[in-house]
Amino acid sequence: MFDTIDFLNYLVNGSLVGLLYALIAMGFIVIYRASKVFNFAQGELVVFGGFIVWWMVIQTGLPLFVALPLAMAVSAIFGLIIERIFFSRLVGESSFAMVMVTIGLLILIRGLILLIFGPQVRPFPIIFALKPVIIGDILIPRSLLIGAVITVIVGLGLSWFFNNTRAGLKMTAVAEDHQVALSMGISVKRSIAFAWALGAVLSTLGAIIYLSGKSLNFLASDIGLSALPVALLAGFESIAGVLLAGLIVGAVQGLVTAYVDPVVGGAVGSVFPFVIMLVILFIRPTGMFGWRTIERV
Amino acid sequence: MKSRRFKWIAGAAAVAVVTLALPASAQTTYNIASIADFTGPYADIMKDLVGARRATVDWWNEEVGKGMGIKIGMKDFDGRYDAAQTASLWPGIKAELNPVAVLGVGGPDVAALQGRLPADKVPMLMSTAGYGFAWKGDPWIFNPRPTYGHEAAGFFEWFRSTRGIKGPLKVGIISSEASPAYVDIAKGAEKFAKDNPDKAEIVETIFTEVQPTDLTTQVGRLIRKGVQVIDIQTNTAAVVATKRALQALGKADIPIMMSSHNGLIASGKAVGGMKDLEGDYEVYGMAVPTEQKTKAHDFHQMVVAKYKSQATWSVASVMGYNQTLVALRAIEAAARKVGADKVTGEAVRTALLTTPISADQTFSILPNLTYTNEAPFPVKGLTVNVATIKDGKYVIAAENVPVPTIAKW
Repeated sequence: MFDTIDFLNYLVNGSLVGLLYALIAMGFIVIYRASKVFNFAQGELVVFGGFIVWWMVIQTGLPLFVALPLAMAVSAIFGLIIERIFFSRLVGESSFAMVMVTIGLLILIRGLILLIFGPQVRPFPIIFALKPVIIGDILIPRSLLIGAVITVIVGLGLSWFFNNTRAGLKMTAVAEDHQVALSMGISVKRSIAFAWALGAVLSTLGAIIYLSGKSLNFLASDIGLSALPVALLAGFESIAGVLLAGLIVGAVQGLVTAYVDPVVGGAVGSVFPFVIMLVILFIRPTGMFGWRTIERV
Repeated sequence: MKSRRFKWIAGAAAVAVVTLALPASAQTTYNIASIADFTGPYADIMKDLVGARRATVDWWNEEVGKGMGIKIGMKDFDGRYDAAQTASLWPGIKAELNPVAVLGVGGPDVAALQGRLPADKVPMLMSTAGYGFAWKGDPWIFNPRPTYGHEAAGFFEWFRSTRGIKGPLKVGIISSEASPAYVDIAKGAEKFAKDNPDKAEIVETIFTEVQPTDLTTQVGRLIRKGVQVIDIQTNTAAVVATKRALQALGKADIPIMMSSHNGLIASGKAVGGMKDLEGDYEVYGMAVPTEQKTKAHDFHQMVVAKYKSQATWSVASVMGYNQTLVALRAIEAAARKVGADKVTGEAVRTALLTTPISADQTFSILPNLTYTNEAPFPVKGLTVNVATIKDGKYVIAAENVPVPTIAKW
């Protein structure tokens, strides 16, 4: 029998999870906009950020208000190091070469995490209170709710930054074409470096929301894969569009998990976002809000 | 004079050579392939599991094998808990080691090799519970424990009678489709409930990600359906996410039942403290690694002291000990039957199927084992042990709990 309260619970919770995916997907998009690189190692950046937070809060005992900004700063530096070592040398090279480097980066970061932190499952600190927010009969996990608010603020803020500030517009020009940007006196390397730092910070923010009160090991990187359909649905250039895409993917996934999974006895909900992704790639490869490129021969 | 001295030296050298060569020529070396998971989901327990395997081989070589003229060599391979990886490793393992036995980690190894081992005539020994998809006659893969479904059913029966529950026990299952073994685990418990509606009712099976984002909604649904125990035999991340959901919903008193590979100690570390798991349970058909003095614990302490084992006393090390002991006892039995220099994988398998292994031979790490040709695990006299957290301490809740019969699924 159809229960409206259940439906609303699944819809709201699914949407909030979708906004978490959107936050992770912003990392993809920020890096893509600056360097035309699809970063396969985005999930690993989430894990790296998670381990930095774990190390600062649990291992060194720093209070959250010190540890969290410090973790963001460390992540930004990590992003800059990645750019300096790997990508600054690849300006002007083919996108394919850069994408291949991100696959190597995925393996490298995973190896480093295993080497430094080990494979053990670690308790992630409780950043947001466990008690859910209850509105009428709708039960909302607090971490996801606060995370959704943060995601919307960050998404709108970044959208404004890219469309209205000098630095943001420079990055947009870099995203259009490296050679043209260079000819206009824009530092492509600096734009790409900033994008990697920002991408790493967004990943750490995602880790904080995703892992609050849960457990952490290198397998948490799977969330990067879950965020992929959101980035594709939005189109790889649209920051604001990723919010809407996250809501759509999350809500659909939540409802499919609730109503289809019990019927078929399987995790259709986990697969469904990828079905959406394939359909999008088939119908509209640039996504809902992606830039249409016109190539003249 | 010179010639006499030369004869003495030559004679002494010959005696030395013969003396040194004698034991070497009398000792035959056989290899065991040790499949591990150093970079996959169970990488966190490999130090203990592989450490225990190695310590057991060292102990056996010194205290048993030497007397029989057999030495066991063992080499680790990273199967990553991935069927494709294990399948791709296998031809190389076979060519390099020509093993007489393989030690596996879990379901992916079974899925990868169950079709290959009969042709290659090498038995594989597992440390885990068995799987429904591998429940076939004429086995080449052997589990020392019944299926996860059997172990869960043993717990359901014990829990129901301990709590004095009159009707069926209402069980919620949280599993994942990340591995065929996880799906099979859920199917086993579902089969028991289906065939015994008066004893157990599965209110819902929830499939989620390996690292769940949030389970509050799903656990809330289980609570509304009156769940009395939540069965999680997948991983620690699922236990932590479920515990957080129960705490968030103010229902932390609903117990979670775990297995060996995601048990109380591992999940306690992942959740941040044992106190969060007060009243939860783990269940499996092997020794529980509490600090109590037992034969199994004594064996562990002996190999740590004498063979410098790095393994700690944990569920993972108990798993490492159990499969290695079964493998080595089977090699012993095979050597007695066919001769110490004629042991083959096939002879080891025949020994497993024809020679019972007593609890004494495994230092009570396992109960008495009698394998038959009808299943990869002993089908009679099955029991499980139950552990819990009581007043913050890891203790045995029940031992030798009988396992009910479950039809194949």
